[in-house]
Amino acid sequence: MSLEILLIIAFGGALLTYLLGKLSSRVRDSFAVVVSLAMAAFVAYLYGKPMEKTFYLGFLGLDLVLRLNMLSWFFAITIAVIGALSVIFSLSYIRGKEKTDFYFFMMLLVNAAMLGIVLAGDLVCFYIFWEIMSWSAFLLISYNKGPALAAGMKYIIMSVIGSMCFLFAILSLYVSFDTLHISRIAPEIASASSGYVLFILILLCIAFGIKNAILPFHTWLPDAHSEAPAPFSAVLSGILIKMGTYGFLLLLYVIVGLKLFLGLGRGLLSFHSVLCFLGVLTIIIPTFIAMLQDDAKRLLAWSTVGQAGYIILGISFGTSLALAGGIFHFFNHALFKALLFFAIGAVEFRTRTRDLNSLGGLAEKMPILFMTTFVGIFALIGVPLTCGFVSKWLIYKTLILEGSPFLAFFALVGTWGTILYSYKLIHNVFLGQLPERYKDIQKSPFSMQFPVIILSLIIVLFGILPGIPLKVINAIGISFGFESLNISLWGITSETGTLNTINILSGLLVAGVIVWLLFRLGARSLSVPQEDSYAAGTHIPKDKYHYTTEFYNPLVIMIKPYLRDVIDEVYYGVAASLRRVSDRVRRIYHGDIGYYVTYIILFLALLIFIQLKWKPW
Amino acid sequence: MVIKVIQIIISPVLALIVGVLFLGLARKIMARFHWRYGPPLIQPVIDMIRLFYQKSVSHGSMFDLGIILSLAGSIVVVLFLPFGKICPLSSSGGLLVILYIMLIAPLSLALSGGQGANPNISIGISRKLILSLGYEVPLLLVLLSVMTHYKTISIVAVVNAQQSTDWALISFPLFLSGISYFLILPAILGIRPFDVSSAPQEISSGLMVEYGGKYLALATIEHAFVLFINVALFVNLFLGGAANPITFFVKMLVVFVLGLFVNAVFPRFRIEQAIKYLWKWPTLLAFLGLIMTLIVRR
Repeated sequence: MSLEILLIIAFGGALLTYLLGKLSSRVRDSFAVVVSLAMAAFVAYLYGKPMEKTFYLGFLGLDLVLRLNMLSWFFAITIAVIGALSVIFSLSYIRGKEKTDFYFFMMLLVNAAMLGIVLAGDLVCFYIFWEIMSWSAFLLISYNKGPALAAGMKYIIMSVIGSMCFLFAILSLYVSFDTLHISRIAPEIASASSGYVLFILILLCIAFGIKNAILPFHTWLPDAHSEAPAPFSAVLSGILIKMGTYGFLLLLYVIVGLKLFLGLGRGLLSFHSVLCFLGVLTIIIPTFIAMLQDDAKRLLAWSTVGQAGYIILGISFGTSLALAGGIFHFFNHALFKALLFFAIGAVEFRTRTRDLNSLGGLAEKMPILFMTTFVGIFALIGVPLTCGFVSKWLIYKTLILEGSPFLAFFALVGTWGTILYSYKLIHNVFLGQLPERYKDIQKSPFSMQFPVIILSLIIVLFGILPGIPLKVINAIGISFGFESLNISLWGITSETGTLNTINILSGLLVAGVIVWLLFRLGARSLSVPQEDSYAAGTHIPKDKYHYTTEFYNPLVIMIKPYLRDVIDEVYYGVAASLRRVSDRVRRIYHGDIGYYVTYIILFLALLIFIQLKWKPW
Repeated sequence: MVIKVIQIIISPVLALIVGVLFLGLARKIMARFHWRYGPPLIQPVIDMIRLFYQKSVSHGSMFDLGIILSLAGSIVVVLFLPFGKICPLSSSGGLLVILYIMLIAPLSLALSGGQGANPNISIGISRKLILSLGYEVPLLLVLLSVMTHYKTISIVAVVNAQQSTDWALISFPLFLSGISYFLILPAILGIRPFDVSSAPQEISSGLMVEYGGKYLALATIEHAFVLFINVALFVNLFLGGAANPITFFVKMLVVFVLGLFVNAVFPRFRIEQAIKYLWKWPTLLAFLGLIMTLIVRR
């Protein structure tokens, strides 16, 4: 059992799914689920079995290397689990739509390619899988046609720019060091000049930054996330953009190494503080933009940009606790954002809309979706006893104790902004008044409820016992050359501050039981439809009188002028001027034969002139 | 161990008594400002007992669950706050944890109210959330200055450090933060001029409008806890905590009565005016305070 078998199952399974779809859609569905679950089981089985395998395929004389270590295992298991859940969610979501075979093929292909990325041990392998992922993601984003085509185009253009930077960096590394094996580049680069290291860092940071959607490379994300089919939005937000995070970890801690990375530049202009600063900007601006959104998926998309900022901040701060917080937040974000995209997707599946102004009151019709969204929102905000709290606590604590309170301030304000948009999301979809047209709405199918239930259970489990994932993360930190953290099952012990989730849990449970008893002791309450108490029993028209539209209007009026997406406008400006220039260039091809003859004669005349004047030939 | 258990039981009870006393005191003092006699000090207790026996209206399971969860959340916060020498769960994560557990109560209350589906409630919640974003900006700066100055995230360590030296309110770099904190305290407590989210005459007490009977009683208890927690946090961080609970409550009483004086004389802000105020002077002061703290620390 080894890595190439895993990849063969992943890619072969994707292709077979497509072919089986030609026979029967039922067989295809069950096969897709089996393949994705098998991959999850396989990856889980590989826990704690580091290995490396080299293949000589004669490709440009380069070795292709597959390897597994703690870092790649942690990413691989996240990919496999979220991937499997998204395939299960797709079963009923995609039924009855066109080109379903193709859809499942692409879903499995993206997952396989991402597994390939994290298992790649050299940069050629990495690049090949990276491109497969980028292109199959493009096909999935534009699956819905219409505005999705434009969103996909935006994504692929930015993605290609990133890939070009990546390719350029690879070529340069190959020319300099004559190897692309990741573990062999690392010792070589330590002796390179700091200018060259910076050059490589910037190129690769652009490549990974575009995938990870850090400012100023975030503009593709809101369109792509909101237009993609819901299960793929979950994959996109949960794990696909995290390939950028993986790239950053690989670049900063494995290839370049911690010491070199922290030593580049000095003071506020050092590379790591610039990256921290970008991380903070990525938290704060998108969080406020998310408040203005009325499209549920667009709101979540902006929230993804904001949460990615925490990950980048944690990773680039460069202490063991911050790194642990950053990696843990990657994992948590994959869980709760996939959950929220699934939940909103399930709501959209029944209501055919995701407009926050027209939904409402679905909590009673879809109780399971409501409870799981509730958990997801709490994890997104970082309320204790969900896993989101632990990762944020780690990041804040480090920032404060290492003397960077301003970074901590912006990160914390980002959290309070998160409360505003999260509440808007859950309130406008699930609470409040149920519109007349959704009175007979059905529950969502089981294949949609199953993934969200699983995810919310994991969120609560790892919120109460954060020691389980932190143990793996600690091993990753140690492999990067950090000291081991003192981790117990329910938190972290250190001299500067201890976290103990069991205390919080038991306190909340006991207090909850006491209050519940008090509640039960009080006089009986009467369940009453809300129209009755609002209008005191008199007749009121069946209109919407509940205030959800423009929920934060007073705030929005104040902050909206400052929240234009300037970067997006700049990119569109560049694109427009490029188009104008290209349009001019196009006019050379006039179509009239006379013009072409003139071009040829002029060109010949130029050549003759050059020869007569300078005699170069 | 036995002492720990006694502390765990006694601290929420003490907090409840003090909080309810504050509620009664607030009515009494406000009445005296209005040249009225005012209700007796234990009127809130009488009201609560009466409310528990009254029939009430429910709008769904989240409506019930939210109010239970919010009160439970507030009780847990009390366990983390030191008052006097009593702090049952001091070693579980410090100020950051308190800050985050403090979110459970308002969020659950907002979710509970959300299911009430009353326009007054959603206006109240929207205003409350905007206002909290407004005061969190200076508040976070203040808390960060305190944590940076004492180089710890543990609230017990902050209290101990102040007992060996000066109160933070009169120590050099932190006095700016302390003033800023006091300026935003009315907003945190939700009293005038910042009572936009309750605003009885305007949106019928906002969030509270659908609550009756035991719901209103629990919501009142929750409010009492919130008063206690926020005043106690100020006393702990800037007035040096106290060596015994009696001194601690005297300090709390002084801060609360000062707050009531503000409450008595100001009319209500509109929500935008409140945000503009909060993001101007208190933020500026807190910002300066944090910069000074950083300079002193270097």
